[in-house]
Amino acid sequence: MDSASSTLEPVFTYVAHSISTVEQAFYRLPGSAIIERYVRSSHQNDPGRTLLEVILIILVIRTLMQSRTRADRNGKNFIEFSEKEIDELVDEWTPEPLTQPLTPAEEAELSAVSIVAGPNGPKPKLVNTGKTAYNLASLNFTGLAGNEHIKQKAIETLRKYGVGSCGPAGFYGTVDVHLELERDIADFLGTEEAILYSQGFSTISSVIPAFCKRGDIIVADRGVTLAIQKGIQISRSTVRWFDHNDLRSLEEVLQSVEKERKKKRAPLTRRFIVTEGIFERDGAMTDLPKLIELKTKYKYRLILDETFSFGSVGRTGRGLTELYNVPAEKVDMLIGSVAIGLCAGGGFCAGSKNVVEHQRINGPAFVFSASMPPLLAVSGSEGINVLRSSPSILASLQENIHAAHAILDRVDCITIPSHSISPIIHIYIRAPSNTLHPSTAAVSTKPSNPVSPLPRDAPQWDIEGEEKLLQEVVEEALAQGVMITKAKRLRGGMEISEARPSIRLAMTSALTKKETEKAVNVVKAALVKVLSKRR
Amino acid sequence: MALNRPSSSHSIFKKRSAQSPASAADYLSALSQADARARKTSSSSSSRSTPTATPALSFSSTTTGASDDTLLEGDMDNSDRLSLPPVPPTSEQVFTTVHTEFGHCANEAHRHTSQHDPNEKIRHVERDPPYYILISTYISYLILICLGHVRDFLGKRFHPSSYKHLMPRDGYAPLNSDFDSFYTRRLKKRIDECFAQPVTGVAGRTILLLDRISPDYNHTQIPTGTRTRALNISSYNYLGFAQARGGCADAVEESIKHYGVSTCGSRLEGGSCDLHTIGEALVAKFVGAEDSLISSMGFATNSTYIPAMVGKGCLVISDELNHSSIRFGVRNSGAHVRMFKHNNMANLEALLREVISQGQPKSHRPWKKILIIVEGMYSMEGTMVDLPGLLKLKKKYKFYLFVDEAHSIGAIGPHGRGVADYFGIDPNEIDILMGTFTKSFGAAGGYIAGKKALIDRLRIKGYSGPYAESMTPPVLTQIIASMSSIMGVTGADKPSSQIQNGHASPLRIGNGSSSTINEEPEYHHPGPIPPKYLPSWLNLAPELASGLEGSLRLRRLAFNSYYLHRGLHKLGFIIYGHPSSPIVPLLLFHPAKMLMFHRMMKDREVPIVTVVVGYPATPLITGRVRFCVSAAHTKEDVDEVLRACDEVGDVMDLKHGLGRGKRWDIEEVVKRAVELVNMKQEDVDDA
Ligand SMILES: Cc1ncc(COP(=O)(O)O)c(C=O)c1O
Repeated sequence: MDSASSTLEPVFTYVAHSISTVEQAFYRLPGSAIIERYVRSSHQNDPGRTLLEVILIILVIRTLMQSRTRADRNGKNFIEFSEKEIDELVDEWTPEPLTQPLTPAEEAELSAVSIVAGPNGPKPKLVNTGKTAYNLASLNFTGLAGNEHIKQKAIETLRKYGVGSCGPAGFYGTVDVHLELERDIADFLGTEEAILYSQGFSTISSVIPAFCKRGDIIVADRGVTLAIQKGIQISRSTVRWFDHNDLRSLEEVLQSVEKERKKKRAPLTRRFIVTEGIFERDGAMTDLPKLIELKTKYKYRLILDETFSFGSVGRTGRGLTELYNVPAEKVDMLIGSVAIGLCAGGGFCAGSKNVVEHQRINGPAFVFSASMPPLLAVSGSEGINVLRSSPSILASLQENIHAAHAILDRVDCITIPSHSISPIIHIYIRAPSNTLHPSTAAVSTKPSNPVSPLPRDAPQWDIEGEEKLLQEVVEEALAQGVMITKAKRLRGGMEISEARPSIRLAMTSALTKKETEKAVNVVKAALVKVLSKRR
Repeated sequence: MALNRPSSSHSIFKKRSAQSPASAADYLSALSQADARARKTSSSSSSRSTPTATPALSFSSTTTGASDDTLLEGDMDNSDRLSLPPVPPTSEQVFTTVHTEFGHCANEAHRHTSQHDPNEKIRHVERDPPYYILISTYISYLILICLGHVRDFLGKRFHPSSYKHLMPRDGYAPLNSDFDSFYTRRLKKRIDECFAQPVTGVAGRTILLLDRISPDYNHTQIPTGTRTRALNISSYNYLGFAQARGGCADAVEESIKHYGVSTCGSRLEGGSCDLHTIGEALVAKFVGAEDSLISSMGFATNSTYIPAMVGKGCLVISDELNHSSIRFGVRNSGAHVRMFKHNNMANLEALLREVISQGQPKSHRPWKKILIIVEGMYSMEGTMVDLPGLLKLKKKYKFYLFVDEAHSIGAIGPHGRGVADYFGIDPNEIDILMGTFTKSFGAAGGYIAGKKALIDRLRIKGYSGPYAESMTPPVLTQIIASMSSIMGVTGADKPSSQIQNGHASPLRIGNGSSSTINEEPEYHHPGPIPPKYLPSWLNLAPELASGLEGSLRLRRLAFNSYYLHRGLHKLGFIIYGHPSSPIVPLLLFHPAKMLMFHRMMKDREVPIVTVVVGYPATPLITGRVRFCVSAAHTKEDVDEVLRACDEVGDVMDLKHGLGRGKRWDIEEVVKRAVELVNMKQEDVDDA
């Protein structure tokens, strides 16, 4: 006994010593006195409480540790396997192939895609045929592609800045010409500021999650393009859908959201209306003044994608705000494409200073991607100058659109969902009268379910069959010297709803009215030829 | 106080400037003399019979005309420090680049080859700093956070107008809640000086900063109108292709004249041109895959093509440090995601065993497929993926492998073909090779390469094919010109035919020309490309077509990477990452040191611009500065950075790495640079 205590003595002294050092260290920490007083007093009052608190702390630490290592392992669904069993399971498991090879039809369609040899423009030479063709497929609304002045400016920029910016905007990728283009866009539209993204498509997919977070409310059109669908998906916000380009349906949805919120007494969250100016899917156009009225009335913010209306409608191509004479400041986030509207590259979001500055830190595609090549930014700025100084371009674009409609309206095997001033004209195959085609009047009695991206009684189309016919039309037109394209889609459930197959004509001011008429007449003949065969 | 420049710096600069030419005019005249001499010799003796010490540099070409406008334009009083090399060229040396964009360096010893040594360890050990650093870092954040909250509390009461945008207002919820934006307002704002600095000109070896000041604690930044040329060790310009002059820029100019700047649409809807086809074939050839596709933005390459590979019922296993674009794509795909510890194969294997045996959550049905996504080189850590380890696991666990080579393609490997090349592995063992052109190639956009069936499927199933604008012709041309200059073109002009017959050809790096590697890699890269891979109108300058300039860039980059990495290590700093990585992160820890470091580097006599990154891009305590070396830097530039770090590091107490006894002082590092670079990794610590 004695010997034991003597051998243990150094241990005791060591323990005592370390306790006292720890204690001293503890007292040296700032705020330790407060903790000590708290522990003392709580212990004095109620020793049980101390115990409870200690248990509580342990619990807190445990849950914290657990959330780190993911709950899966301890979840009730976890099955214990021995190492050998795991090895067997691993051996047994055969994955599906990474991707399915193309079907012959897909392959044929992919190889039928027109490829331009040399510069693109109103009458490019095609690799496919080796001949030139009228171009009603490429997006060159105001004919800026191939503009000699812009080329000259681009070369000057190249000789000063090189090609790539070699860095994201945060780290030495903010070049003065980017700031200039941002200023030019803001000036052009009449907003406080604008921010550039390096790809038009990724712009709105990044703008939406920069603002809309979990718990926020997005009210979106059922016919929005894929970029918006993906932005909405990634934001994880609560989504309510309204019928495509139907502002009455929008108002009903807004009311129902408000009712829901009142019922739940939910706190005020951010609320957004997301829609397009001219819809990529069908060329329909939003009634902007009415939309602004609704958003102001219900206190929503408006995210408006003007990818196809910026640089194509309005007296000088400023888009819907110019067309309807609505101040651009009324649109909280106005998204446009420099690549499409100005034939350069990238996209932008214009809005108030707050809106723009917020994206400079929170827009994923802005923060985590290199800024666009300076020469494209300068080309964009020059594009704006051209539009500003020569409104006649926009007038001749409209003239061509009008001429195209005048011809196509007389074709009775098709329908055109696009607005009469939209620079993209979609062509649907008119459904043969014997197939089921729900008329809109029958539907309007009962509103669609706002939670579902599909409208009530969603019409069904023979997608495969229509795609095939339209592809025939495309090839027939090409054989006659006009390049057109089907609106290409992701099929098989990758989009929220299957868009109706269509041919998408893109009008341009670079063709004269005569040439446009000639080209559209070829399209008309191809449509008639292929579609009349069908019956 | 502490901001005052250490006095020792002056003596160093004095000494250096003594050997450099007195003025820009002197330098230019020396340059033009050398140029004239070179022209004379090349015209008098038709065959260039004198193999000089620097064959890769002696192309007859005029440089002075190109250089003087870029050189003298807009520079401040420091122009002759950065704009001119310390030693004027000799008669043999004719440089075809502008020194401010791509530094003149004729010393053949300052070259290295980036190649895996079978004995080297891939995972590097991260050194921990002393405890007092950790604790004081936490305390700094604590103070910052407390102060921030106090200021918010007081501000909201006494200065409500400046908080208006954070408060609900006439029925609108704030765009940004004060809680969400706390970090941005109260921590990042304090060091906003380090971010989004506007610049002008080429982001090459040097960069012209547009100076700005903030009178109100970074709420507004006001341009002063002056410009400062600074040494640029921050852009992702690994191979130095960010150039406004030279063969690539000439090719791009030609393409703008011919094609304009736009292709007007998406790839499947009338926005394809012949350059896309050519570029894709070239990229496939470059990376060694069957086929490839090109997308106009690197971020979008991940975010729009990953969903075409995986979906519901699939599992993505992602490295915890993967780039935001990968996360974006995975989230949009609807696949289930799990993470594994950064580059930790043991952790990955345990996870694989768990997920394969457990199957899908709840239903326990087997996964349709498992895709592992890693990066070749990590942009914040400089670490290299353990590719051999992954491939070993891949054999057993049958997953598909996606490697994002954004930072590694072009930058590493003896042929510049990324991680597979570095390890001497057949790239076809990787299912999906993804990369970007923003970095090494001085362009923009990204690619995906793999089997033809995969790529064709992605062409129609990825979001970009039908919807996103296609890549523009000038960018495509930059890619085609820079890539083919790395590969070399067969039957190109004189220099290349010499190479084909010659013995010590710089094209066949790794076969004897490098000293450290004795083992022959198993996979052989295809040699130079036949001219049919290039557009017919493209007349590649002879130095590009021969592949000489490309191989020079690769070797200069490898030298600079090794030198900066090991130099900083030997000086005693804590450095992350792999020595052949051009990304060199130096650990700073404290948030305040990030600003301080940035400012002290920028305020030097030779200003150096740096990228400092902290939370949330890195873990809270490991704030760091991230250097990105480039082939455009000369050894003197790296010396300059090392000297600057040495001085700043002493002032700021940053040397917590190598033990004092093993460190070298700065003069020794500079003197023994070549030895340091060529050393075996395991000898570095003890040398
Ligand atoms: C790993 C990785 N992938 C993708 C990207 C995006 O590339 P880009 O800047 O070309 O959009 C980056 C850029 O920083 C990256 O680091």
